[in-house]
Amino acid sequence: MKRALAFAGRNQKEILRDPLSYLFCLAFPLVMLVVMTVVNESIPKESGMTVFRIEKLAPGIAVFGQTFLMLFACLSVSRDRAGSFLVRLYATPARSGDFILGYQIPMLVLGAAQTAVLYAASYVVSLIVKTPLKPLGLFWSFLSLQLSGILFISFGLIFGTLFSEKAAPGLCSIIISLSSFLGCIWFDAESLGGIMLKICKALPFFYCTKIGRSALALSFTKEAFWLPLLIVASCALVFDLAAVLIFRSRMRADLA
Amino acid sequence: MTERSFEMIKTTKLTKKYGTKTAVDGLGLCVYEGELFSLLGVNGAGKTTTIRMLSCLSKPTSGEAFVGGYSVKEAPQEVKKIIGISTQDTAVAERLTVRENLRFMASLHYTDKAKIEERTDEMIQVFRFQEVENQLAKTLSGGWQRKLSIAMALIGDPKVLFLDEPTLGLDVLARRELWKMIERIKEHRTIILTTHYMEEAEALSDRIAILQNGRLKALGTLQEIEEKAGVKGLENAFVAIAGKEESL
Ligand SMILES: Nc1ncnc2c1ncn2[C@@H]1O[C@H](COP(=O)(O)OP(=O)(O)OP(=O)(O)O)[C@@H](O)[C@H]1O
Ligand SMILES: [Mg+2]
Repeated sequence: MKRALAFAGRNQKEILRDPLSYLFCLAFPLVMLVVMTVVNESIPKESGMTVFRIEKLAPGIAVFGQTFLMLFACLSVSRDRAGSFLVRLYATPARSGDFILGYQIPMLVLGAAQTAVLYAASYVVSLIVKTPLKPLGLFWSFLSLQLSGILFISFGLIFGTLFSEKAAPGLCSIIISLSSFLGCIWFDAESLGGIMLKICKALPFFYCTKIGRSALALSFTKEAFWLPLLIVASCALVFDLAAVLIFRSRMRADLA
Repeated sequence: MTERSFEMIKTTKLTKKYGTKTAVDGLGLCVYEGELFSLLGVNGAGKTTTIRMLSCLSKPTSGEAFVGGYSVKEAPQEVKKIIGISTQDTAVAERLTVRENLRFMASLHYTDKAKIEERTDEMIQVFRFQEVENQLAKTLSGGWQRKLSIAMALIGDPKVLFLDEPTLGLDVLARRELWKMIERIKEHRTIILTTHYMEEAEALSDRIAILQNGRLKALGTLQEIEEKAGVKGLENAFVAIAGKEESL
């Protein structure tokens, strides 16, 4: 465990010292938060378009931010694998579990910090547009979204382990676009219905935004919250396990 | 070296195949405790592959290797506790400072905080990192990165140290300085060194092995190798041995 923490410390430092991390994981979502709020102000109320209202926008932006967490998780693994740094660590007493934990822990910490910052900013925005968010809702939403954080981080680790430094970020950007569309971050599939809604409901991203929004509204019904939560939690568990197994088998293959 | 010294490294018929290519072919050698042993050979002779197998980074296709009495196949976890490796490519964490790199590496070997700091300070002393200790590794020159990479291999106080082309890309002065460093860190350590610089092997080694196409072509002290080749100077002997067409 101490070795995992040592490795986690190194990974955290490397990410925090990369200015791009702040740009993508914080600045970009914050800019989107402000831009979309401004856009929302110019949408006439009677249009019935609610997706950019702060109570829906904030959780959407939080999930959007997590997709960049995925990108950085992916980059930190694929960069290490491309160089000989990880190889030399393989010749130390550290084991595969230490490495995978060492990649996960800092991402979870950074993920929690990211949601916290985005929600603090959202709260301020909600005060400015005079539709204040409920602090308790923000809290529960923050907690539930850590599950989707685990899911996205697992995606990142899997891509980073399986693909090269060149291919992996590209694959991540596919997931980023997919999840922002099919996760209903920028449009409301539920009011659209039809085939689009079916596709959204077949993928986990939809449920990530859903639990964030329901928790924020404090609507803890089975339909709105618990069922989606179960789906996100199961996906997080499955993909997290997959990430561990894939990393382990890849490490074994590298040492063959 | 007396005959009775402990056999720190012993390989028997050690072989590594990549598909149809045999990178290391039935290697049998023995390195005694406290020896500085040089592995020489042209590009692709199998030096790095041998080091990778000895440091548990690659599994032998057949044959055996023991490091510190532990089998690399059966007890890699024990082997990893007593070795340090500086890979052919410089391998440092780029966005950590020199001190952080050392401390990180130390914490993979030790759990005691005081010990980690002690080893870190010691390496900063030995390698004269004082001036650059708070500099990010990526901002160091190639030579300093190389030294850091070696210091990181040494931080666990390994019984066996593998140095794969440690002076690659160093200028003449830096190379000489690193030689002195290697002499200094030797103590009772066993060091396996690979290099393409014959004067380096001459200056540092107790014994030398010459590989060709993964096979052991010569093994012994400088004098023994010169005698075998029938010429003076390691470079001439190397050319005579490694440059000879293989008679199958
Ligand atoms: N992962 C691999 N897959 C396939 N072939 C490999 C692999 N690693 C090494 N080889 C081959 O094994 C042979 C020995 O390579 P090795 O790296 O051990 O040589 P070397 O003596 O270290 O050479 P150099 O002086 O250039 O570093 C080469 O022919 C190389 O192409
Ligand atoms: Mg080599």
